[in-house]
Amino acid sequence: MKLILSDTPLNISSEISNGIKYIDLSELKIANCVGCFGCWTKTPGKCVIRDDAVKVYPLIAASDAVIYVSRIKYGGYDTVMKTMLERAIPIQMAFIRLLDGETHHVQRAVALKKAVIIAYGDTGEEEREVFRRLVERNAKNMSFKSWRIVFVNENETESAVREAVKEWRK
Amino acid sequence: MAEIIILNASPRAPKSNSKLYADIFIKNCKEKTEYYNISKNNHTELCGKINGFTDLLFVFPLYADGIPSTLLGFLKTLEKNPPEKKPTVSVIVNCGFFEPAQNDTAVDMVKLFCAQNGFPFGSALQIGSGEAILDTPFRSFAERKIKMLAGCISDGKQRVLKTTMPLPKRIFIRASTSYWLEYGRKNGVTEEEMRTMSIEKF
Ligand SMILES: Cc1cc2nc3c(=O)[nH]c(=O)nc-3n(C[C@H](O)[C@H](O)[C@H](O)COP(=O)(O)O)c2cc1C
Repeated sequence: MKLILSDTPLNISSEISNGIKYIDLSELKIANCVGCFGCWTKTPGKCVIRDDAVKVYPLIAASDAVIYVSRIKYGGYDTVMKTMLERAIPIQMAFIRLLDGETHHVQRAVALKKAVIIAYGDTGEEEREVFRRLVERNAKNMSFKSWRIVFVNENETESAVREAVKEWRK
Repeated sequence: MAEIIILNASPRAPKSNSKLYADIFIKNCKEKTEYYNISKNNHTELCGKINGFTDLLFVFPLYADGIPSTLLGFLKTLEKNPPEKKPTVSVIVNCGFFEPAQNDTAVDMVKLFCAQNGFPFGSALQIGSGEAILDTPFRSFAERKIKMLAGCISDGKQRVLKTTMPLPKRIFIRASTSYWLEYGRKNGVTEEEMRTMSIEKF
């Protein structure tokens, strides 16, 4: 399965075909993670907060290709995307392993993914550099086997997503 | 004399490790300190309190390789409601994984906020194995570095301090496995259940 996760509504219905799931996070109700670790130690694999996030992290786990679309703030994802990514830790286990010589969590049934991150907003080179390092770190915790970041102005976001979906068809 | 306002940006602030780190900081700091938890609804109110302090210390966990959305939200509010005189910003960031360097990006994000908004950046303490270190014989490693950070803020020094448990990684992993199994056991959940590969259906 392929997944497009966006923090802003996108007019891309013509691009969506079988096997591609598009989610506009901005129209979902997703609360902050409260750091209770219930998803690891009480109801493993399930978040105790039963809002819309519980429909999203299983999709993240199952997808072998993802496009994440987010505004950039202080060199990271802005609130909508960041909140969802924090709520996705039920797809990992509490247990820690070594990965490339560093400590990281053991994953549950999570597909290795090709990730494209469409990072939009008015960013300077310094901010882009922090974001690149962030995504490099995410890759280890979010099962990216490869990733690509596309920095765009806000008004170019939709066309960047269309381009990335076209790449999937190749 | 420095006056330090300490803001805890852990989403579970009242019961957080960050709170315990802040307590150790307060005990070891010669300056006047005031401590607050950042909650859902107090961002603007806290922004109003910052005026008059020479230093602002954020204490927070690493969340998904970056600053937790609680801190992100607070910084966005602070950007809109800045104090007249901007204090020097320092951080204590702790993460669950072993390597203190996994916190690098979170520190960079706070530095970016500072650069974009005209706040001077002071010092950073990055704690690895921060979920558990205070309950182990290695507590003193964290305490010593927190004390050093307090000294740096008093003296207006800019330093990056790092600490973690003084263990080989394989031993750390074994210890962390016991830690989490005990966590589950208290909830009546077995190792097998904790190791389930299945994630709820969509
Ligand atoms: C949603 C979530 C995301 C986390 N992400 C990371 C991470 O990327 N790297 C890491 O080392 N620890 C991570 N942790 C672990 C916390 O940083 C660690 O448990 C910390 O001690 C919590 O501090 P606090 O009690 O002050 O909130 C995460 C925890 C949660 C709940």
